[in-house]
Amino acid sequence: MTTPIEIEGLEVSFPARGGTVHALHSLTLRVPQGSVVGFLGPNGAGKTTTIHVLLGFQEPTRGTARIFGQPVGATIARERIGYLPENPDTYGFLTGRELLAMAGRLFGLAPAEIRRRSDQLLEETGLQDAVNRRIATYSRGMKQRICLAQALINDPDLLILDEPTGGLDPLGRLDIRRLIAARKAAGKTVFFSSHELSEVELVCDRVALLAGGHLLAEGPVHTLVPAGQSLERYFIDTVAPHTADRTSPS
Amino acid sequence: MSRILTLAAITWIEMLRRKDLYVLLILLAALLGALLTMNVYGLAGVTGYVKDTGLLFVWLLGWILALNTSVRLLPDEEQKGTLFPLLAKPVSRGALIVGKWLGAWSVSGAALLCFYLTVGLGVLLKGGAFNLLILTQAILLHLAALAVLCSIGIALSTRMNRDAAAVTAYVVTGAAFVLMPRIPAMLTDTEGVAGTVLSVLYYGFPHFELFDLRRRLIHEWGCAPWLIVAEVLVYGALLTTGFLALAWLGYRKRQFTRGAAL
Repeated sequence: MTTPIEIEGLEVSFPARGGTVHALHSLTLRVPQGSVVGFLGPNGAGKTTTIHVLLGFQEPTRGTARIFGQPVGATIARERIGYLPENPDTYGFLTGRELLAMAGRLFGLAPAEIRRRSDQLLEETGLQDAVNRRIATYSRGMKQRICLAQALINDPDLLILDEPTGGLDPLGRLDIRRLIAARKAAGKTVFFSSHELSEVELVCDRVALLAGGHLLAEGPVHTLVPAGQSLERYFIDTVAPHTADRTSPS
Repeated sequence: MSRILTLAAITWIEMLRRKDLYVLLILLAALLGALLTMNVYGLAGVTGYVKDTGLLFVWLLGWILALNTSVRLLPDEEQKGTLFPLLAKPVSRGALIVGKWLGAWSVSGAALLCFYLTVGLGVLLKGGAFNLLILTQAILLHLAALAVLCSIGIALSTRMNRDAAAVTAYVVTGAAFVLMPRIPAMLTDTEGVAGTVLSVLYYGFPHFELFDLRRRLIHEWGCAPWLIVAEVLVYGALLTTGFLALAWLGYRKRQFTRGAAL
């Protein structure tokens, strides 16, 4: 079975006013099949940049990234991915069911399969009662859940979530945790970035710590975090010395 | 193909649930209503001015609708962030461009048919009628012109923001509408660099006047030869393909950084 995510020596630089911004420095990371990996780091660490490279939105300056053995951006790889962006927004003029139908058709699913998956996901996300309402009338939490449902419409082998619990209330966060746990139980891989370390501790079996574009640590939570210490303490101790300005004159 | 149709369907649903189309249709109906109450030279049966003004507005509204719709589709997706989940799905950037163009063109085309129907009804109420064969040719060529306009709008929107794309599209296509038919006459009095510039403009810009059969329709000059109509349709298809290719070239390697760390 091919590895869901393989990143080798990934570097991303942007030309910016006053110099070049180095978003990622020689990032090497491997996400094993069936794992739930938390991608952690302070603001500006390069988490979203990494995810954007994985999804083909951005070209790396150097290095390679592969999804299920395929180069990033390959259509065949994207058939097996589900993606929830940070602060997701979607077509407010569609109803929840229409959005899921649209997402299913873009994945090439048959109408009966779209119906079956939609019903299942609407139940899992607790949106059955709002299914025929326009998304513009949804609360922020409901929008987050319908966006997550559309990311799951193809029953993806790899789910990539960018700050999935940002701005959600405790119940909303609990729903997301349950969904991640369900994916893991089904043998699927989940890769998600987050600031919510308590959430990460609850659902992840591996973490990768990124700061200033450098990978500081990667591995199973129980081997990285010393006994008796919280992930939050470990995060602060590890990341704090690496949060210097990343902008350097070119 | 089903992905392209799905992308086009999103545009359809959005346009049907927005007010723009209905407002344009009501505007046209109100204008025609006003025209129908007028009797030019005191003659109740004169319909030429209804046809002339009505068709002018059909062209204006079609032009506005095609450009407004096409220039905003891709920038809006990017600005709202809906582009990211879309591109994370197995949708190629080429399919995205063609899907958006198809959505813009088919919506504008359907609205155009409604506009023609409204004007046709207005003319009928005034006691006149359009020659159906010329009307068919006029609508076919007008649809081809809309296809070109939508492809220009999409192509510009891949290289600039929505507002800049809209202004550029209106200026370029407006200039093409007004200037192109005049260039041959201008060339007879122009030589040197100015003449070369005019020639480059003449052969480089789209000739929208070729798609315009309003005079023929108003004055009932008879059908245009079908071979010529077919040639103009091919010309429209080539222009559309060319502008969509330009759009794809501008979009296929585009980097998207919204929400990224930097």
